[in-house]
Amino acid sequence: MDGGENEEVRNNKSLLGEMYVSNTSKSHRLRETKCPTGFNWTNLKAESRAIWECNIKAWKIELAYPISFLRECISPLIFILPFIIYGLVLIGGRYSENLELLVGTGDVVTFLFTGYLIMGFIGTAVWAMGFSIRREQWFGTLESIFVTPTNRLSLVLGMALHSTVHQSLGTAIEFTVIYLIFGLALKIGGILPALGIFALMMLALYGFGILVSALSLVLKEGWIVAEGLHSIMMILSPVAYPLIVLPNLAQQASTVFPTAPALVGIRAFLIEDYTPEVVGNIFLHLLALDIAWILFGIFVFHLSDIYVRRRGGLEKY
Amino acid sequence: MSRNALQQSSLKSNFFIVWSELVKNLKFLLAYPVVFVFWAIFPIFWFVPFVLQGQAFVGGLQSQSFAQIAGTPEFIPFIVLGAILNSYVLTSLYGMGESIRREAYRGTLDYILSSPCNKAFILIGKALSESLSSTMFAISQLAISILFFGIELTIGIIMPVIFIIILLILGLYGMALILAALSLRYKQAHDLAHTLEYVFYVFAPVRYPLGSLPLWAQIFGRLLPLTYALIAVRSLMLLKESLSFVYLEVLALLIIDGIVILVGFYLFNWMEEKTKKSGTISHY
Repeated sequence: MDGGENEEVRNNKSLLGEMYVSNTSKSHRLRETKCPTGFNWTNLKAESRAIWECNIKAWKIELAYPISFLRECISPLIFILPFIIYGLVLIGGRYSENLELLVGTGDVVTFLFTGYLIMGFIGTAVWAMGFSIRREQWFGTLESIFVTPTNRLSLVLGMALHSTVHQSLGTAIEFTVIYLIFGLALKIGGILPALGIFALMMLALYGFGILVSALSLVLKEGWIVAEGLHSIMMILSPVAYPLIVLPNLAQQASTVFPTAPALVGIRAFLIEDYTPEVVGNIFLHLLALDIAWILFGIFVFHLSDIYVRRRGGLEKY
Repeated sequence: MSRNALQQSSLKSNFFIVWSELVKNLKFLLAYPVVFVFWAIFPIFWFVPFVLQGQAFVGGLQSQSFAQIAGTPEFIPFIVLGAILNSYVLTSLYGMGESIRREAYRGTLDYILSSPCNKAFILIGKALSESLSSTMFAISQLAISILFFGIELTIGIIMPVIFIIILLILGLYGMALILAALSLRYKQAHDLAHTLEYVFYVFAPVRYPLGSLPLWAQIFGRLLPLTYALIAVRSLMLLKESLSFVYLEVLALLIIDGIVILVGFYLFNWMEEKTKKSGTISHY
């Protein structure tokens, strides 16, 4: 191998860490690039950079289709409108006596808005994160990404970052329009603690998203699993109704997902006269779910990664 | 060969095209049984939140204020029927509308468009197979709804309901044909289908009566075939009216069907010619 070829190989593969080129008689070391590994500051910085770049890539792809981007920005508004109109028609106004008996507030528009605020972020976990890997497969770039020394989860977390910002944009539009048309009775002082609960919920949802992405790695056409989980989560979350209207078994099952305690907590801080359960318990509940979902998600992702690569199914559709 | 024999042969070949397309699409559907089960059951999960919301807001199964606009206080059958008919919208927009795009993904679009047959029959075959699968899904959803949500179905109204559903399917596939035509030229039909789905989601009386919308939105809703089908089917099944009571809705459906099917076929032929000339059939 001449010097020019060596230089080219070095340029192309320097990022791949330790590289060896097999010679007819012996192997000689071509070049060694130290890649940060383990739990240290340098590695954390490198992974953060990878997450950021994945986020930027997702934005670039998204903004290349401006009409699709605009449509997705207004989708939270479109999806909440039927719930509000249906609710208003059912009770002939915006005040429900029965809802007040159940949760302490009768304002259906504010109740639905605070519920639906969360719903879009479930989509973030299930669809955006869950399908980040599948999307790379469609683009034909999954194998290239998987051979880099970056943690595979950085790709998923990059998509999570992009999708969270995207969803926040949509929620801002939703808030503005609903506020202008219907008006919302929200407690301004409750915004900060509500954001704290929201952040805890998002952590658990990220764990859930990692789990879905692991499933899409194994099942390929995992959209059915994602859609199924999304629909079940929608029913088990008190988005458009309080949990008390669900059968006992479903109420118990809802405690496994972060959306149920988060919605109770967020409404407790944001809605006037809302009668919540003990808010302290909600924080503890969410913390426990964060740890459980993140650990479980990473564990399943790790297993799926090993399984798929061992079976050589990475490039399969 | 005599003119009569030629005509007979042509009729036979065209029937064979429709039949082959029908069989092909059903084979695809049955190759993925999980997808089949998903569409047969999961749309029910999408309307359950509305049922529970109604119970939480009203505290029962009937709402008098709902009855003032909808004509029936029973909001659950209203929602269930709306959701079942709406599943035809989803399958037609994403199934038929995307069918041409799917052929492009599979790499078979060039062969289909260059084959020496009338493309209208390929589209009819696709529409028939989509209608068949949609009807299988709808029947399964209806059976579950009869069991769990108290939907009543008497033998006397089955035929009129089927007649209205056929008219709805014709209108929806006319719209899907327009989408398919646009996807030939502009490729990303998915975005168009999504946008159209939003229009149906808000302006069609799937979850609430049309009268609950502002006037401008009602006018918009009246342009959709689903609106008339929903009004007619609900009148027959919930209000126990006869078919003659909904003749205006049936007439409106017929007019919409005629317009969208004619526009759909014209647009598809025009786009096909244009795409062939520009050489972009195989582009993604």
